[in-house]
Amino acid sequence: MLRNRLITVLTFNDGTLFRTKLFEPDYRYTHNFVDSWSVDEIVILDITRDPNADKRAFYDVVTQFAKECFVPLAVGGGIRTLDDARQMMAVGGDKVVVNSGAVERPKLITEIAEAYGSQCAVLSVDARKSEILDSGYEVFSHFAGQPTGKAPGDWALEGEKLGAGEIMITSVERDGSLQGYDLALCRQVTEAVTVPVLGMAGAGNWKHFVEGVEQGGLSAVCTQNIYHFTETSIASAKKFMEKKGIPVRL
Amino acid sequence: MIGIVDYGLGNLTSVAGAVSKLGFEPHITSDADTLAASDKLILPGVGAFPDGMANLANRGLIDILGDLVIKQRKPILGICLGFQLLGLSSEEFGHTPGLGWIDAPVTRLKPADNALRVPHVGWNDLTQTKPDCILFDGIADQSLFYFVHTFHMETPPDGSQVGTCDYGGAFTAAVQKGNVFGTQFHPEKSQQAGLTLLGNFLEKA
Repeated sequence: MLRNRLITVLTFNDGTLFRTKLFEPDYRYTHNFVDSWSVDEIVILDITRDPNADKRAFYDVVTQFAKECFVPLAVGGGIRTLDDARQMMAVGGDKVVVNSGAVERPKLITEIAEAYGSQCAVLSVDARKSEILDSGYEVFSHFAGQPTGKAPGDWALEGEKLGAGEIMITSVERDGSLQGYDLALCRQVTEAVTVPVLGMAGAGNWKHFVEGVEQGGLSAVCTQNIYHFTETSIASAKKFMEKKGIPVRL
Repeated sequence: MIGIVDYGLGNLTSVAGAVSKLGFEPHITSDADTLAASDKLILPGVGAFPDGMANLANRGLIDILGDLVIKQRKPILGICLGFQLLGLSSEEFGHTPGLGWIDAPVTRLKPADNALRVPHVGWNDLTQTKPDCILFDGIADQSLFYFVHTFHMETPPDGSQVGTCDYGGAFTAAVQKGNVFGTQFHPEKSQQAGLTLLGNFLEKA
């Protein structure tokens, strides 16, 4: 039976690991608290704001993980062209995560899917609550600063049609909140698409992972608040999930 | 020396990293002489089947690999797309002939259960249909491996299937036909079980 995944998301600002809150770098870490044997998959995102910043420090981070972690690495941040994606793959990524680049130019998803296969193209969708759109949520791009007028389910489905193999849905308001995933938002996306959906932002305890799968319909639950995740905590989170009836890899 | 076939597609660095970790010397190459000098070959691959075959053809690799693998019987391990390329053909983006070393076509996954999402992404159990295959030495049946794919190889009639996985129906997840090995899953991304399997190929094939 296919297992639900617990994914660790690491965000780097100028090559330094940070936790984020409401999409701003919030807390700097000095160590990577990744239990490289229990983790199912790792998402590594470059959240450096300056588009002209030297990306070498970030690429080095990816290469280091690729050497030590024998699990899939999804890599993203600032990907605008197929060449950017190719660079992320060359330094050790197995999948690339696109967000604003796909909002600006949706064909980017297709270009990546055609070059590397759909399974390689992860569309990241950041959404805020909306009082204007019927869906109650609106997709934002550019570090959640720019409204797009799109409903998350519609954009996710468009992304799937363009070739995205997975969707990663993030609630901007829940980022760093530890209040749990925005389950209604997760459901809008999981019901709209047939590809696997990764849920992000808000997990503060093990129960939130279970809710994300059972109520949000998520294939994978993500967290970046790694101060919860010292050496043994990924393993204990998964033991908790299994006890609650969620199939996981122990 | 382990020749990792570079045909412009795929997670070559990941595979090379796992080979190094196991104490072998990986060479990412499409050069005929380097491939010929390699003890074993790995055909990795992430991407679409037609691109895969076109890239192999453009680099003259179909003839080079045919000579090394079929005539000289050098061991080869196909991974994911590299595994599918070993088959007769694929229906991904139309109909494309494959290398044809394993006698089975590649078709789209159609899980019997509509609730199952495609692509099939994540950790799933491997059933060892031929547990004595050297790839499985020291690996428990039903160990978990990392899969990520939309297409799958149909059951080869020549008995080369050595492992299956269930995703709304059993599909061929690993094959061996003499010196030709293949896995639909990614051993280089499957933690300890994957490294053990890859090590078995490198040491024992």
